[in-house]
Amino acid sequence: MALKGIDKALLKVYFRRTNSESTMQAAQLKAQIEQAIPAAFTFYPRVEHGSIPTGIAQIDNAVRGIPLNAMTEICGHSPRSSERPRLPFESGSMASSGKTSVLISLLAQATRTRFCALVDATDNFDPASGQAAGIVLPRLLWVRCGKNRGPQHARFWRDGVENSGKLPPLEQSFKVTDILLQSGGFGLIAVDISGIPERVVRRVPLSSWFRFSRVIERQPAALVFLSQEPHATSCAGLVLRASAAAPARTNLLNGNLLAPWGLNIEVVRGRDKKPVRSERAGFSRKTQWA
Amino acid sequence: MFACIHIPDFSVQASLLPEPAERRATLSRSPIAILDGPANLPRVFATNPAARRDGIQIGMTKLQAEICAGIELRKRSLAEEESAQAALLDCAATFSPRMESTAPGAAILDLAGTEKLFSRNHARSENVWQRATQIITAKTAATGLHVRIAIAANPDAAFLAARGFLDNTIIPAGDEARRLAPLPVKTLPLAPTMLETLAGWGIRTFQSLAALPTVAVVERLGQEGLYIQKLARGALVRPLLTCEPNGDFTASFEFDDPVETLESIFFILSRLLQNLCSRLLATAQATSELRLTVGLNVRQFAALCGREERERQRARRESAAAILSEPSGESKDLFEHVWKLPFPTQDKNLLFSLIRLHLEQTTFSAPVRSLCLEMIPVKPRVAQGDLFTPPSPEAEQLEITLERIRGVVGAAGSDSATGSDSAACVGSPRLLDTHKPGSFTVQNFSSVQDVQRQCHPERSRTTHAVRRSAESKDPYPFLNLEGVHVSTASLTALRLFRPALETAVELDGAKPHFVRLWNRHRRVLAASGPWSASGNWWNADAWTREEWDVVLQTPAGPGFYRIYRDRLRSQWFVEGVFD
Repeated sequence: MALKGIDKALLKVYFRRTNSESTMQAAQLKAQIEQAIPAAFTFYPRVEHGSIPTGIAQIDNAVRGIPLNAMTEICGHSPRSSERPRLPFESGSMASSGKTSVLISLLAQATRTRFCALVDATDNFDPASGQAAGIVLPRLLWVRCGKNRGPQHARFWRDGVENSGKLPPLEQSFKVTDILLQSGGFGLIAVDISGIPERVVRRVPLSSWFRFSRVIERQPAALVFLSQEPHATSCAGLVLRASAAAPARTNLLNGNLLAPWGLNIEVVRGRDKKPVRSERAGFSRKTQWA
Repeated sequence: MFACIHIPDFSVQASLLPEPAERRATLSRSPIAILDGPANLPRVFATNPAARRDGIQIGMTKLQAEICAGIELRKRSLAEEESAQAALLDCAATFSPRMESTAPGAAILDLAGTEKLFSRNHARSENVWQRATQIITAKTAATGLHVRIAIAANPDAAFLAARGFLDNTIIPAGDEARRLAPLPVKTLPLAPTMLETLAGWGIRTFQSLAALPTVAVVERLGQEGLYIQKLARGALVRPLLTCEPNGDFTASFEFDDPVETLESIFFILSRLLQNLCSRLLATAQATSELRLTVGLNVRQFAALCGREERERQRARRESAAAILSEPSGESKDLFEHVWKLPFPTQDKNLLFSLIRLHLEQTTFSAPVRSLCLEMIPVKPRVAQGDLFTPPSPEAEQLEITLERIRGVVGAAGSDSATGSDSAACVGSPRLLDTHKPGSFTVQNFSSVQDVQRQCHPERSRTTHAVRRSAESKDPYPFLNLEGVHVSTASLTALRLFRPALETAVELDGAKPHFVRLWNRHRRVLAASGPWSASGNWWNADAWTREEWDVVLQTPAGPGFYRIYRDRLRSQWFVEGVFD
C-alpha cells in the first residue's frame, strides 16, 4: 500500500514537471516510475474493429460504416403494419422515414461478402425491393416472426399480454436473435422491430440490450436493430435516426412518376466520443422505377 | 471356398440388437425367451443358452415360461429380425460382392479371389481361412452380432457346419463327409414327417444317413431323400443365389404398450439412429434425407375416452394441425415428417438433435405405438475448403439453429394474401417467375450451396421497374452494360403490409383524392398511376389490379404509399409504404 502511495505521488510529480521543467528531469522521473511500475506508460491502442459500409456515401463518410462487434440502432418513425386500435400514448406515424432503405442498402453491401440474417418481427420485408437493391437473397436468412396472426394475436396488441400459445412477435424476434448470436457465422444480424408499437418495445429491460451488446462484442459481426426510437442507450455503439426530407409540393412528381425524395440521417450516437452537436447527413434515394 | 455366417438364436439376438452394447452384454447372460403366436396364447419361439439351461423349451406357453425366475420374455418382432438380417448382409458385403441370404440369420459368401484380403505375408491357405474367420467374427461383433462361421468347398456344407457345430469350422475340400458325419440329422432342413421317418429307421446322424444305399433311399423317400443324403455327404454342388446388399436403410420399433412420454421415444429413436448410422458408416455412405413415421394409437385411445373427451381431442388435433401446418400431411394414425438436409451426413448426434427439436414442438393426438426411421443413402460429402467463399455458419450447426428457430416462430404457413403457397417462416426468399406482385417462396437456407450473385434481373423483380422505366431512358437502371448490379445510390424500399390493408379511396375524376388510413382520411398530395396489371386469367387464380403510388399528407410529414384496386373484388387495398 505504501509503495502504491509513493508511485501515485511520483506520477503526479511527473505530469506536473513535464509541463514546467526540462525534458531531462522528466525522463529521469519516467525512468524511476517505470522501474516501480513497468506498465505505467505502456500505450494500449484502442482495437479498431472493422465495419460494413452501408452503400450510402453520406452515411459512410459520417460514421465509417456500421461497426462490427457492436450494436447499432437505426431509428425512424414507422407506419403501423396492421389494423389496431390507436392508443393515446402510442407514438406511431404515417410518414415515411427511410430507415428501411438504409437497412436494405446495408444488407446489399453485407451479402456481397457475408451471410446475413434478417429477423423480421412484423413480416414487412419485401424480397422484390431487396433484390432490386442488390441483396444476394440466397445469402440472406429471413426469419418471419409475426407471421402467425389471428384473433388471438389481435388480442395481444390490445391487451399487451400474450394470449395465444405462440410467443408475441417481439419476444420471438429477441429469442431468434439470441439463437443466431449463439450460433455465430453470420456477418450481419438485422432485427426489424419497427412495426411493433413503441409502448411494447419500451418495456424491454435494459439488461436485454446489455446482454446483446456484450455478446456481439466478442463476435466479428454487426447487430443492427431497426426501431422507431432508440432504446439501447449506451449499449448501442452507433445510433442513427432517419427522417424523410419534406419535399416541395411541386416536386413530388416527375412526369407521371413519383420523384425521388430526400432523406436526412442524424448521428445520435457515434463510435467516438459523443459530439456536442449531432451530425446530420442528407441525401436522396433512387426510386425502383427511375 | 464358401463361408457361411450364421447367427445362433437369431430371434433373440435380433431383439437385443437395438439395445446399447453394455445392456446387450448383460441381457445375453440372463435367460431370454421370444414369444410368438396368437395374442391369447403366445408360445416360446426361441431361447438363448441361459434360458435353455434353466429348462425353457421351444413350444412352452407363456405361463409355463414365466415359472422360470428372472426370465425375460419378449415378443417376436419381424421388423427387428429384418433389421438384423440387413445388418448381417451389409457386414457380409464388405468381404465379397457374391453373397446369398440363405435363411434368416444365415448368409453364405463366395470367398473365391478374396485370399489376398485375408492373407498376411503369403501364408498357407489353411492359415488364410483361419484368419478369415477371425476377421469376419470381429467385424460382425462390432455390429453387435455374435456369429459362427464355417468355411467349406460347397455352400451347403458350410451352411450345415455353421448350424451344427458350436465353434468356427474350416472343412478342407474333399473332407466334407468325414467332418459332417457327427452332426445330428435334425440339422438338415427336414419336414417333421421326414424327421420322424428317419428316427423310426434309427438314423440319428449324418454318418448313418450318408451310409445308406442311394437307390434304396430314392425308392423309399423319393428325390427328397436323395437330396438330403447328398447334403449329409457334403456332396451337393449348386450355384450361389446371389443378392444385392440391402439398400433399404429403414429401422423400426414397435412398443409393447403405447407410450406418451417423449423420453421413451427419444431413447428408442437414439438406438434406431445409432443402428442406421453404423450401417451408413459400414457401407461408406451418408444420408441427406431422413423420414420419421410415428404410428399413433388413435383407435384404442378413442375407445378409451368418452364421447366428450373424443370431441375435445378432435378439436385439439385440428387446432394443432392448423398451428403446425405439417407439410407432409398428417393422416389419422400416422405422423410423418421429412428432414431434407442440404449436405449428406453420417452424424448421429446431428440427426438426433434435429428430431428432438422438432418433436419437442409437436403435439401428438394419441399415444405412440410405433416408430419408423428411413434414410435415403447418398454419397458422402467431400468437404473441400474454399478460400474465396465468405465466412459462413457451420453447415451442421446451422441445421440445428434453423430447427431451433422454427421451434420459436413456427415451421410453415400459407400466405394467401401474397399468393405464395406454403411460405415458410424461416429460409431464404426467392422471387417467383411471375408478374404477380409479392410472389415469392421461402427456400431452405443453406451455407453449403452458396450461389454467386445473380447478375440478371428476374422478371418478377422488374414488374414495376421495367414497366415504369419505359418512360425513363434506361430500361434497366440498376444494371450496367455487363449486366452487373451497380448500387451507386440507395434504393427506396417498400415495406409490405401482410395482409394488405383494406381501405376506402375517394376519387377525384380517375385519381385518388382521399385515402382512408387507419380510420382517418388523408389527402393525396400526388398520385402516380394508374399502373394496370393482370394475370392468370386462364385459370381460377385470375387477378387484375390497378396500382397507384400516392403521397399522403400526414401530421409528421409526407407518407409515400402504394395502394391498388382489386378489379375483381372492386376493393381498394394499401399494399405497403415506401420507407
